[in-house]
Amino acid sequence: MTTTGGGPALPGAGTAALADGHAPASLTARSRDVRLRTVLGLARVEASLLARSLLALAGVIAGGAVVWVLIATMQPLWWSADWRIGAGQLILGMTVLAAAQLAAGRARRDSMTDLYASFPATAGTRTLGYLVGLAGAVPASLVLLGAGAVVVQARGAIGSPSVTVLAAGVVLVIAAGAVGAAIGTRFAHPLAGVIGALLMFLPEATSHLSSGAGLWLIPWDILLNQLGNLPGPLAGYPPAVGHLLELAGVALLAGVVALAMTVRGAWARGGLVVAGVVAVPVIAFAVVAQLSPIPTTELNHLVTEIADPASVQHCTTANHVRYCLYPGFGRDLPSLEAPVDGVLARVPARPGQALTVGQIVAPQNITNEYLFYGHSQQQVTQWNAQIMREPASAPSASAFYLSVGRWPADGGRLADAHFNVALTAAEWAVRLLSPDTLPTEQPCVPVDQAREPIAIWLAILATHPPASGLQNDGGMTAVEVHNTLVPTWTNAGGPVGQITGSAPQLTDAGYLLAKAMTSLPEQKVSQALRGAWATWLNEHTTDAQLAAALGIRMPSVPQPPLAGPGSGQPGLKTVGQPGPQSRACTS
Amino acid sequence: MDEMALNVSTAAVRAEGLSRRYGATRALDGVDIALERGITGLLGPNGAGKTTLLSILATVNEPDAGRVSAFGLDPGHAAERVEIRRRLGYLPQELGYHRHFTVAAFLDYVAILKEITDRRRRAEEVARVLAAVGLEDRARSRIRALSGGMRQRLGIAQALLGEPDLLILDEPTAGLDPEQRLRFRELLSSLPGDPVTVLSTHQADDIAAICPHVVVLLKGQMHFAGTPAELAAAAAGRVWAAGERDDRAHLSWRGGDNRWRHIGDHPPTGAELVSPTVEDGYLMLSHTAGAR
Ligand SMILES: Nc1ncnc2c1ncn2[C@@H]1O[C@H](COP(=O)(O)OP(=O)(O)OP(=O)(O)O)[C@@H](O)[C@H]1O
Ligand SMILES: [Mg+2]
Repeated sequence: MTTTGGGPALPGAGTAALADGHAPASLTARSRDVRLRTVLGLARVEASLLARSLLALAGVIAGGAVVWVLIATMQPLWWSADWRIGAGQLILGMTVLAAAQLAAGRARRDSMTDLYASFPATAGTRTLGYLVGLAGAVPASLVLLGAGAVVVQARGAIGSPSVTVLAAGVVLVIAAGAVGAAIGTRFAHPLAGVIGALLMFLPEATSHLSSGAGLWLIPWDILLNQLGNLPGPLAGYPPAVGHLLELAGVALLAGVVALAMTVRGAWARGGLVVAGVVAVPVIAFAVVAQLSPIPTTELNHLVTEIADPASVQHCTTANHVRYCLYPGFGRDLPSLEAPVDGVLARVPARPGQALTVGQIVAPQNITNEYLFYGHSQQQVTQWNAQIMREPASAPSASAFYLSVGRWPADGGRLADAHFNVALTAAEWAVRLLSPDTLPTEQPCVPVDQAREPIAIWLAILATHPPASGLQNDGGMTAVEVHNTLVPTWTNAGGPVGQITGSAPQLTDAGYLLAKAMTSLPEQKVSQALRGAWATWLNEHTTDAQLAAALGIRMPSVPQPPLAGPGSGQPGLKTVGQPGPQSRACTS
Repeated sequence: MDEMALNVSTAAVRAEGLSRRYGATRALDGVDIALERGITGLLGPNGAGKTTLLSILATVNEPDAGRVSAFGLDPGHAAERVEIRRRLGYLPQELGYHRHFTVAAFLDYVAILKEITDRRRRAEEVARVLAAVGLEDRARSRIRALSGGMRQRLGIAQALLGEPDLLILDEPTAGLDPEQRLRFRELLSSLPGDPVTVLSTHQADDIAAICPHVVVLLKGQMHFAGTPAELAAAAAGRVWAAGERDDRAHLSWRGGDNRWRHIGDHPPTGAELVSPTVEDGYLMLSHTAGAR
């Protein structure tokens, strides 16, 4: 047998010793070292390709948009926002999956298999390179995470994020990439990646199958809205550690599958079997952990917080008004005090009973089916009964409530929320909060009562809301009081802040008169009000009397169409027609 | 035959009794080949088995029968196969490209796959092979923006990465313009380290110009191994030039000078004997093999 003779030494050459087919140990070690460095070299290239790929960029943009939409519409509560950032990572994960599939299928798709087969770097080495190269998706994921965190923080975050939840989002992206690499190793066609990415969404569509526990890649999906309506984080739920483990297991398993398709050596295959044997139970365990119900003690605690907020809330009194907020929400206090104080400053005399502004968890904002999943029917019934006894369920003439999670952080919505608080405070001041109307009943209507435009005027002056928030919502609506159709006014910004209390149904006439009042100097109106405050509060004092006292003409109120078959015109609707009559408000 | 057997047993790269079937097609049928340092040209008509033979020598294809040895290493043994690949440069006949890669990025990527793990050395290698094929000024171009011939040069460049000891080029000159073909010949003749080089081609003049050894493959069997002069000599005394076509000739074609060239056993009337070229020898050989 001849050996090579001359010739320049090549990297990794040095073959004479191999001529008889026995590799000395030192060479094997060197070979391993070369292989490791090759993997790292490939990984560096793949990582930079991935980091600069249009798909990853698109993923960051689309994921960022999703995060923005999910965060911008909610109160920035970290115990919900961290999962919402995860929902954005899912979008990035989908594009990273597609990008990783493209990379792993590149050689086959571009008919380079023969050339690649002639290289000393084996298919297994290349696959490892793709897998390690998924590190290139980490910067994109961190950008998404960081941007989301900055937005939440900048909007005045309440609570603190769970590092585990945020980390799970990054692992999700890696796991998706590993799945993509596994798909690409077997299926080179670009569609395979697209289908794989879409399949990632499938659990969302079928998540109700998992009995509401919301497992798999996106457990936050089901709980997304609920978490943001809770007064604080649920200790250990959703199970972030289980979720992180599950995703890590998926990443590991996908990597094992990708390598199993390419690696030849017996030792390596043995290692893969071991890794697979580890990954499967890890995933199974993590899924089971995520499916486990929220512990009874935790739910007992939550139900108490909801039914009896006083047991946990911090109350402060300012300007003789009591504000009771869940722990951590103190930063919203000034934002509540300002509109209330703005009203009180213009009110000649306050009602005898002091005002309380409280925070509640509105029962309609939480889906008990998911929260109480896994508990006995009897227990669930009991919890539900307790929750229904939350403070806002009882009528009160001296209290109104804000729903947790609905207080906007900034912009026009915050202005609308300020107006709504001011309006409800003004309704209290003019004694329009009704002590005998359950929030579930038809509210009373202050038909032709001077105190109604006064309340609206007070709220407008206290907060100067944007005109768009004052517009009558939903076209022309009316209720029937004493067999007369009364056009009503519901301000467009009304739902913002989700303020609950025994507030009346306001009328269009009241709003139009209040608007006319704002054209007068404040001084003039204040003087007129102060002169006969008790009279103005009387339910029998009419709008016309108020207009006359102020020297303005009564605005004309557009009449709603007559209800009945055939009378419905597009864009117009009537409420309470036909149906029970609404009551007029009484003192 | 005895002389060839002796050659085979001492050559740097050798194959004995190689056979490869694709279904009913015998692509290779008992081929023995010995490759020495220097350039060996492989001639043969379409479907002769050239690509099959080269892919087996490049360790990316396995024979059904026979054995291969390169530098004393056996490609059938996994560890030794890797060692061969570490010393190999291969240009497949049909090569796709990662068209969105830049020229330099593609070469860098291939260099990593060739285990050139040191970054600086890789950059030097990439620059070297780019210069060798005259693509230095296209280093930053995307591959999709290259012409077909430039892409072929890029294919040659990647094969040269790492100064291979065994260079296997399947139709490297296909698509090259005349100037680039000359340049390619010069490049191959001046490769450092005098590697074992084998190239397949349909251009007999390429072989005449640069290959000290030539092998002719016909229908999966080896029909000639020797020097280009010896191959040309196979047609000695049988190549004629004449003013008219002669139907008795094995092969006739009209040259650029408007005169007919004949290969045959009988001189056409008024023809003059001309000295044969490598192409004449090859055509003669393939004709006699076909007649057999
Ligand atoms: N993958 C394959 N599957 C089936 N048949 C094949 C395959 N590859 C080659 N063949 C057949 O084997 C024979 C030899 O093919 P090969 O490609 O080696 O010829 P070649 O000499 O390279 O031809 P060309 O000059 O056209 O490149 C042909 O008959 C071909 O049809
Ligand atoms: Mg061929």
